[in-house]
Amino acid sequence: MKIKALFLKPYSKYIWIALMLLAWELTAKLAPVSPLAFPSLELILTALIDSIINGDILMQMLFSLGLILIGLGIGVALAFLMSFLSVVSPVFASFTDTCVSIFHPLPGIALLPLIILWIGTGSMAILFIIVHSVLWPMILNMTAGFKAIPEVYKKIGKNYEFNTLQSIIRIFVPASLSFLIAGLKISWARGWRATISAEMIFGASGGIGGIGWYIFNKRVFMDTAGVYAGILMIIAMGIFVEDVVFGQLEKNTIKKWGVA
Amino acid sequence: MKPIIEICGLGKSYEGRPVLADIDLEIGSGELICVIGASGCGKSTLLNLIGGFVKADQGEIRLNGRLVEKPSRQCIMVFQEFDQLFAWQTVRHNIEFALKKAPERLSHPEIRSRADHYLAMVKLSDFGDYYPNQLSGGMKQRTALARALALSPQVLLMDEPFGSLDAQTKRELQETLLEIRQETQATTVFVTHDIREALYLADRIVVLKAGAVAAVLKNQTRNTAETRVAEITALLSP
Repeated sequence: MKIKALFLKPYSKYIWIALMLLAWELTAKLAPVSPLAFPSLELILTALIDSIINGDILMQMLFSLGLILIGLGIGVALAFLMSFLSVVSPVFASFTDTCVSIFHPLPGIALLPLIILWIGTGSMAILFIIVHSVLWPMILNMTAGFKAIPEVYKKIGKNYEFNTLQSIIRIFVPASLSFLIAGLKISWARGWRATISAEMIFGASGGIGGIGWYIFNKRVFMDTAGVYAGILMIIAMGIFVEDVVFGQLEKNTIKKWGVA
Repeated sequence: MKPIIEICGLGKSYEGRPVLADIDLEIGSGELICVIGASGCGKSTLLNLIGGFVKADQGEIRLNGRLVEKPSRQCIMVFQEFDQLFAWQTVRHNIEFALKKAPERLSHPEIRSRADHYLAMVKLSDFGDYYPNQLSGGMKQRTALARALALSPQVLLMDEPFGSLDAQTKRELQETLLEIRQETQATTVFVTHDIREALYLADRIVVLKAGAVAAVLKNQTRNTAETRVAEITALLSP
């Protein structure tokens, strides 16, 4: 019973991770697998620590994160603009709906050949893919959030003589924050994937390459432990963003307000 | 008493179905009017028309002689829904929110003292830092009332604000409303389907039946005796 309770706590994720690492280590040590394909945890950790000490992996990580943050910023701003115009004009709303149905299912990577033709292969091209990955899910969530706003809030906005922009910023955005956070989570995940894929393809042609390029490079030199080190960093960053960044954001907003 | 609201030949239809027809009514400054009627008789529509939330098909409404065309801060509505409070703001911030955008550009201390004043008026001084999800239904409606009053509107529109409350809480809020009225002399149009509530609160009772004014009754004595209830019930029955 006590063991069961252990797995129902918020930190149970870390117990599972520990168990997976243990299984990994046992496989690497006991099973007849090549260390090139399946390096032990010591090898991976050594590669990770070496990369951290020489600064390589952190620089690459920061580079990728920087790109994502800029992409997220642009994507969210554009999504806000399109969602705002959709509230103002039903005609624009139908245009936005059409754009979302066309572009939302389209993976950014599928656009790569075209993006190379249009923009080339540098950071700008990666940014373009990130914005594409962020924009559509964000619009989808923003417009859904705006539509779900109780009629009474809209009436109060009118009663206070707010114009449309004031109503949206002061009432619509906070009132639909649970939708916006959900949109941000999806956008972040899609943006992160798109960045790493694009970096693997573009390499260091525009800047230092990023964490995707780091992993790709390690593979080229058959440094499998280094590849895993890069993947570990990506997982760690994913968990950090999910648990700490979004976790805190939700705790201090929608959970506190009782709307989550 | 000089009329603050003048309603003249007012009519409204929804999808060809008339909801209100040929309403004439004058409401004096400082008066507390209760509009009473069965569900679907058009009482909420009348309130929404006075507030400028919907447009009339016939006739007009004047507030202080000026045609009502859209919602304004002169005419603040208190709704029945408990979720009319902004969930992301504390009780105090809900009240201060509209004051911050006031055309008279209030200073921060003024906003704070006004919020304090109205919090005390609705007996919620100790709950300023609570979020709406931590409040009971009655407390939420008190906050909504304080929030509306803080804007010092010329007219307070109340759309069955106590309709979802239990009898005890309802009575407490009715008393608070009467006390506030004594203090602020705010003109109030109060929609309800509860005859006793109307008799307890109103200076005059407007009885709406099938979209028309069936009677306007003086209620200076605030007599809630069964004979009075029966009199209004008779007026409402088909």
